[in-house]
Amino acid sequence: MNWVIAIIKVVFIWTWCLLWATVMTWAERRGSAMIQDRLGPNRAGPFGLFQPIADGIKLFTKEEFRPKTARKILFNLGPILFAIPAFSAYAVIPFGDKIVIGGKEILLQVADVNIGFLYVLAIGALAVYGIVVGGWGSNNKYSILGGLRSTAQLISYEVPWGLALLAAVFVYGTFDLRQIALEQTGTFLGFLPNWGVFKQPLGFLIFTVAAYAEANRVPFDLPEAESEIVAGYHTEYGGMRLGLYLFGEYVNLYTLSALCVTLYFGAWNLPYIDMSKFLGPISYGIASFVVFWLKVMVFLLSFIWVRWTVPRFRYDQVMRLGWKTLIPLALFNLLITALFIQLTV
Amino acid sequence: MDIYFWIFAVIGVAAGIFTISYKDALPCALGLLTVFMSLAALYVHLHAPLVAIFQVAIYAGAILILVVFVIMLLMTPDEDQMGRQKNIGFRIMGFLLGLLMMCYLAIGAKGIDQLVHQEKLPKGFGDPHIFGDLLFRQYLLHFEVASVLLLVALIGGVYLAKKRL
Repeated sequence: MNWVIAIIKVVFIWTWCLLWATVMTWAERRGSAMIQDRLGPNRAGPFGLFQPIADGIKLFTKEEFRPKTARKILFNLGPILFAIPAFSAYAVIPFGDKIVIGGKEILLQVADVNIGFLYVLAIGALAVYGIVVGGWGSNNKYSILGGLRSTAQLISYEVPWGLALLAAVFVYGTFDLRQIALEQTGTFLGFLPNWGVFKQPLGFLIFTVAAYAEANRVPFDLPEAESEIVAGYHTEYGGMRLGLYLFGEYVNLYTLSALCVTLYFGAWNLPYIDMSKFLGPISYGIASFVVFWLKVMVFLLSFIWVRWTVPRFRYDQVMRLGWKTLIPLALFNLLITALFIQLTV
Repeated sequence: MDIYFWIFAVIGVAAGIFTISYKDALPCALGLLTVFMSLAALYVHLHAPLVAIFQVAIYAGAILILVVFVIMLLMTPDEDQMGRQKNIGFRIMGFLLGLLMMCYLAIGAKGIDQLVHQEKLPKGFGDPHIFGDLLFRQYLLHFEVASVLLLVALIGGVYLAKKRL
């Protein structure tokens, strides 16, 4: 029985991530249109909502073109290596509290492991191999440059990202993402919600900036900067191989947003209101899931908002921001947090 | 016979042979990635998920990415790397170091038939708390020596790079 529940959870959260990644492709285009005072895709279905389906059909039926000089195995392997980490990273992040069906308590999380946090870090670091292999396999100057930029960027921003997360671990005292979510109930200092963002404001800022860089989003989309290197690592890709790259990116965004909500924005907890007090077991489970999802949506929309508002950095600016600003700031944050904990606990 | 062990052991060794014998540099790095991954899988099998995660995060996620970065910076696809090392002194040194490693392995394998297969693990085995406890109590000296060593390497790296800035 347990493994049936586990499979249902895996299938559910997988489909859910894919669904919202699909909707994100539509929201991105509508959002950009809104910001640039255009209409955006509005023909397929109501508000153009069927546009992602049309895009999907297009990607599936397109010719699978491969340049003659590309290295066949690496070229095919690239998108797969990119998609696997993207699709497996969500496994340890909760998507709600718990739901009781027929007297059986089901945690809304695929795997509740005590090192969940480190798992996300490790899987996140593997995403770059897909980009590198794709770029190298295409055997094309622009693609290789894109892959090269991607590795440099990932090395640079993994450090402040990890240090910001480490400071959060200091605060919560655990690597267990579910435990971290459970600790964020009640109030902090008597009037603020007991959320991570109020204890780690600087850490949250560093995390967000580094998350944009990790996800290769504007203003950090140097690996695919179309005004400089055509389309970077996916210049030679078309059809569903390109689709995997684009899709994997949106799934990554969902995972990063969920991680951010779990660590800094109280996961499924509402401020000042304890939902479990007045809701039944089933409705509480659903409510916690919806609250969590709404918070994730806020962050997903902010990704779109930033993308169409901020211009791309120059390459040396990206490196300077990473090494000379974010890393010292993250170390400072770590020091302050450690001092504070040492003096108060 | 432990099938799980054998699957990943064979994959690991095969990937290792691929790493040192293939001519193109980036597939070699991917071979090394496979070695790290199969090692991580073996650590999970030994009830040490934390070590497995460190293996992936540090070796595959940080060190190998640096290697890949250098490969992409200096080489091009389809560049034959075989026989590039012309210096016979380096070749002899590589052979000797490899031999030394094999000797270490042989010494390490000495007590292998006396290994006990422990059925019951101590409470909290592989837990991050226990891990940290060991690192900061029993093995504090080793930990500090390693961090001082890394700091020295860091300062040395900055010193060497700074001269040319």
